[in-house]
Amino acid sequence: MIKFHPTDKQLTQFAEGNIAATQALVISAHCDMCPQCQEFVQAKSYEFAKDIENIHAHEQTDPAFEKMLAEITAMPMLNVRPDITPRIELDGKFFDVPKPLQRYVKHTGNWSKLLGKVWQAPVEIGGEYVANFIYMEKGGQVPEHTHRGNELTLVVNGEFSDGLNEYDSGDFLMMDSEHVHAPMSDAKDGCLVFSIVDQPLHFTSGLARLLNPFSHLFFK
Amino acid sequence: MLIGMTLDNSKNNCKPAEVADEMSEALVEVANERCKRSYAKVFSYFAPRLRSYALKQMGNEALAMEMVQDTMANVWQKAHLFDASKGSPSTWIFTIARNIRFDMLRKLQNRKEDICSDDLWPVLCEQTPDANETSLDEQITLEQVGQLFENLPDKQRAVIEAIYLDGKSQQEVADQLSIPLGTVKSRTRLALQRLKDMLEDHD
Ligand SMILES: [Zn+2]
Repeated sequence: MIKFHPTDKQLTQFAEGNIAATQALVISAHCDMCPQCQEFVQAKSYEFAKDIENIHAHEQTDPAFEKMLAEITAMPMLNVRPDITPRIELDGKFFDVPKPLQRYVKHTGNWSKLLGKVWQAPVEIGGEYVANFIYMEKGGQVPEHTHRGNELTLVVNGEFSDGLNEYDSGDFLMMDSEHVHAPMSDAKDGCLVFSIVDQPLHFTSGLARLLNPFSHLFFK
Repeated sequence: MLIGMTLDNSKNNCKPAEVADEMSEALVEVANERCKRSYAKVFSYFAPRLRSYALKQMGNEALAMEMVQDTMANVWQKAHLFDASKGSPSTWIFTIARNIRFDMLRKLQNRKEDICSDDLWPVLCEQTPDANETSLDEQITLEQVGQLFENLPDKQRAVIEAIYLDGKSQQEVADQLSIPLGTVKSRTRLALQRLKDMLEDHD
């Protein structure tokens, strides 16, 4: 069951379109899996639409609008292409991903073993951000780390825990430098998550600390 | 051209539910019949309101009009995607406008991430991604770093181990190994440079 949702404020900003794109992407993927938040966003959109309807637009016949109307109605109508639903593949296992992430499946690189039972596949989203699908096999653990910037995570499929909480498919997490955690999965089928970071992770324990001087290389 | 077609504004004072029904019907006619008269009805109701909304959001008349035009063009071209069972015409048009504004602002801000509104709010689901696959460099794994680390000269490895694994300060390492601080610093620098070179060769 989904326990971790974006805040009402985040959902409202999302509905309004006044939000950072990376946050919007993960929230959008969450909403695709979460009827409750979907409904909230829909209700907010309805309110925003009402606000627009309530605008008192007294309109003189504006030549600019006449021209615009003529230009638009001269345009061809467009057809819809059928939906394809790409899925993430790892070792012959296929995972469905929420709609907003489907476009990125083909921008996803090969899986590489991060360590032990943790796999990562980089997702090209461009800009300053680094996105990955991360798969923890049963027993797989990401070394304990904290965050210099923000880490946005959506549990796509499976369950994991991180010493702070236990998470299930659909859960939305936003972590920053206040959080130190060590994600690991004990689920029989492991756990697939999607994550975006704006700064390299900072590993806080064990051999993984060796990674810190180079974590920018990990994250390109 | 729109000869004989006036921008009909008389419906603006109707009850919202009636407006919604009327706009829904008009959109269906646009989708099925390419009916310009029905479209003009939708246009005359929404375009001026969208302009006020856009002006408030973007603070610029030219941008506001661009947003109205793009939004209303989508309404014309993709009217068949409107589904009255899923929401009111105004909600549908608001979501299109929001998406257009979001992309316009990102373009103005020169944002590099490949994220566009159609992914975030799949209102008009016919966007297909461009075909060019991006090849990604193989990434370095923790295990590989461990192996490279093994290749460091013993003296450099001892310093790196003490600093990055044991969390000691450079001064503490100097004391522990009974070597000058300057030597710790240069070994650290050399070791990091060497690891960096190895990682780059690895690419
Ligand atoms: Zn939710």
